Amino acid sequence: MKRAKGTSNALRKTAPLMMLAAPGLLYFLINSYIPMFGVFIAFKDVNYAKGIFGSDWIGFDNFQFLFKTTDAWIMTRNTLLYNITFIAVGTLCSIFIAILMSELLSRWYSKLYLSGLVLPSLISMVVLSMLVYAFLNADSGFVNKSILAPLGLPEISWYAEAKYWPYLLVIVQMWKTAGYGSIVYFASIAGIDKSIYEAAKIDGAGKLRQIRTITLPLLKPTVIVLCLMSIGRIFNSDFGLFYQVPLNAGALYSTTQTIDTYVYRALMQLNDIGMSAAAGLYQSLVGFVLVLVVNAIVKRVNSDNALF
Amino acid sequence: MNRKKGMAALLLSAALTGSALTACSSGKSDSNSAQGGGDSGKVQEIVFAMPSFNRIPDDLSKVRDAINAITESKIGVKVDYRVYGPADYAQKVNLALQSGEKMDVFTTLGQFSNYVSKSQVAPLDDLLAANGKEMTAILEKDFGPDMLKATTIDGKIYGIPVNKGMSLPISFVYNADLLKGAGFKADDVKTVDDLPAIFEAVKKANPDVVPFGPINVNPSDTGLLNLLKGTNKVDFLTDATGVGVVVGNDGKVVNFYDTDIFKNGVQMMRDWYEKGYLQKDAATTTITSSEMMSSGREFSFLGGYGGMEVGKTLSAQTGKNVETKRIAPFYFDTSAVNSVSWMVSSTSKAPEASVKFLNLLYTDEQLINTILYGVEGEDYVKVDDHHVKFPDGKDANTVPYTAMLSTGIVGSESLQYQFEGINWSDIELKLKENKETERSPYFGFIFDQGKVKTQISAVNNVVNQYLPGLVTGSLDPQTTIPKFVKALNDAGAESVIKSKQEQLDAWLASQNK
Repeated sequence: MKRAKGTSNALRKTAPLMMLAAPGLLYFLINSYIPMFGVFIAFKDVNYAKGIFGSDWIGFDNFQFLFKTTDAWIMTRNTLLYNITFIAVGTLCSIFIAILMSELLSRWYSKLYLSGLVLPSLISMVVLSMLVYAFLNADSGFVNKSILAPLGLPEISWYAEAKYWPYLLVIVQMWKTAGYGSIVYFASIAGIDKSIYEAAKIDGAGKLRQIRTITLPLLKPTVIVLCLMSIGRIFNSDFGLFYQVPLNAGALYSTTQTIDTYVYRALMQLNDIGMSAAAGLYQSLVGFVLVLVVNAIVKRVNSDNALF
Repeated sequence: MNRKKGMAALLLSAALTGSALTACSSGKSDSNSAQGGGDSGKVQEIVFAMPSFNRIPDDLSKVRDAINAITESKIGVKVDYRVYGPADYAQKVNLALQSGEKMDVFTTLGQFSNYVSKSQVAPLDDLLAANGKEMTAILEKDFGPDMLKATTIDGKIYGIPVNKGMSLPISFVYNADLLKGAGFKADDVKTVDDLPAIFEAVKKANPDVVPFGPINVNPSDTGLLNLLKGTNKVDFLTDATGVGVVVGNDGKVVNFYDTDIFKNGVQMMRDWYEKGYLQKDAATTTITSSEMMSSGREFSFLGGYGGMEVGKTLSAQTGKNVETKRIAPFYFDTSAVNSVSWMVSSTSKAPEASVKFLNLLYTDEQLINTILYGVEGEDYVKVDDHHVKFPDGKDANTVPYTAMLSTGIVGSESLQYQFEGINWSDIELKLKENKETERSPYFGFIFDQGKVKTQISAVNNVVNQYLPGLVTGSLDPQTTIPKFVKALNDAGAESVIKSKQEQLDAWLASQNK
């Protein structure tokens, strides 16, 4: 009796919070959990006359196309390295921007600059790919005509040389996402108790010293949570960035092919939902395992910062 | 408390990582051969999905009513008429098929054998014999007796190809004013070997103009490949990748990219490229040739066109004086004929009504033209027996309904109205060429990709990687072709070729019986 009363009391207390969380939970339920039911399609040879449930089980055959070819190594390497680079460089850029913004004395200016920095993330990848094309076009591009030519350097046919693209893609990705990524850090910095800084100032700490010993250590939990979340998607790549921005140029596949673009190119003609489900399952599974592993490592080093 | 928070976070991260999985609702199963027809007094309803390249109006009710007025009185079928743009047609139809939504009559837009291998479409033999006699008759009259061979797999007919001028000889499409300015006449263009001299002269007279461009680059330009196919009688055996083709009639399946035909072809392109006849970024440009032409920056491209009137259409599109000259013949392989085929879904509840409707679609002048041009008086007016035009003061964008750009997609061309200004003799020429164009000895063979799906997907990627650069000359064939062929073999081209050869031999044996 007493216990029942306790739970109902707790329920009443948390009800407003639950209601706040409800739309988000519902979103995840409908958008992420219910579709997981379709996982079994990855192991079926889908035949429409027999229906999805009646189709034959074929074990891991649908997964073969992801591993059997020489491209498998290239696309896995590219996906992983790009994502690791994006996480590392992205975090650095975002924290850098956030600290700069928070040091601005005028609120008005910091808002203005921050909005300006967020703007690129609103531009669609297709539009962005045309902007990049305007820079790199072989015949009339800005880089060839207005930078390389006046310097007396030879023109480069950007869309035919794979070796430049690891740098170009990182630059494009940072231009697009660093500003947006800095918002969370900016908010975290704003949440740091100002009296800590005042105490440091009295102790004679300069600006750089304050940043190094107060701001950065206090940002650590945020950095870890955000990194863990990005690591969960380390096997997924931004399709637009790797497909649209290099204009789907064949000569660049060795440095622009990722798992997502490979699956798209391979299955555009086959239109096989079993194989695409297999690719999705593989990416999700590896991402999930990586989150668990990294979280375990974080926990061992510093259990307060772990996600769960 | 802390533990609970931990669980919630775990679930959350699971949800984040799991979001890439495919969604799929239960497919309506085993209604393969549902109750067909029965009492003919009852009106049956079918869903008919049509691709349109024109603006799609929000309100289709008038056209839908006009179509139903014809179909209900003639065959007792009510049609739920849907129109989708070319970009999302395949997606909309696939989604309907995968989710078990009602979808009875639809077209392929190029993936015929895929639909069959996944049993998404119903075999039509018995239904055609009972309800499609008029249709088979008109196909035979307009194309020849062998048309349905192109949609027959394992002895069963799964689709009806659109009935139109199928022969698309390779034409050199050029800006006539520029040709004249360079001091040449149309008669100077006879074969592809005449072109470099003309390009040189055009380039000299107009330094800003690109002499030659790819027609379409997504994923790869088709101009050169079609030229090589037509000139050398190459049958791609219904597989667009190009590994595993037969040259001529020797019955031996070979890798097209390892043949001298391909090597010489891309070498020619390389020469053109190095002499500056193509744009430097021809392999990746996203600007189509007709856009380049209408801006006046391009002189010519290669394209496959039926009939002789296409220059007029292109001139109207580009606003330049465009002419065409045929430089290579066409060669009928299976995919040339079945690439646009109409099919009936295997989950259709009313296959009989669907075939009755298809029968009418190919044979009823009124129905075809209502679908293409809409309601007479509102959407179009007749000029004479064969020709129509828009009502006064209207054009393609302002009439309530038109799907006039889909003339090559649906029904029988011989029954379609033509737009004012198109010479009717052109239709007759197209039908004559249907019968006269040389057919590949393997016409009717359809490759089943099922057993080599993994290899095909890998091969596709390799082809996309190398082909666009080779056919536009931007890669050096001397060094690239060996790399290309090696990559194809690594990707499993050998097993594709082997599988094809086995299927082809079996098919040939069954034909000779």
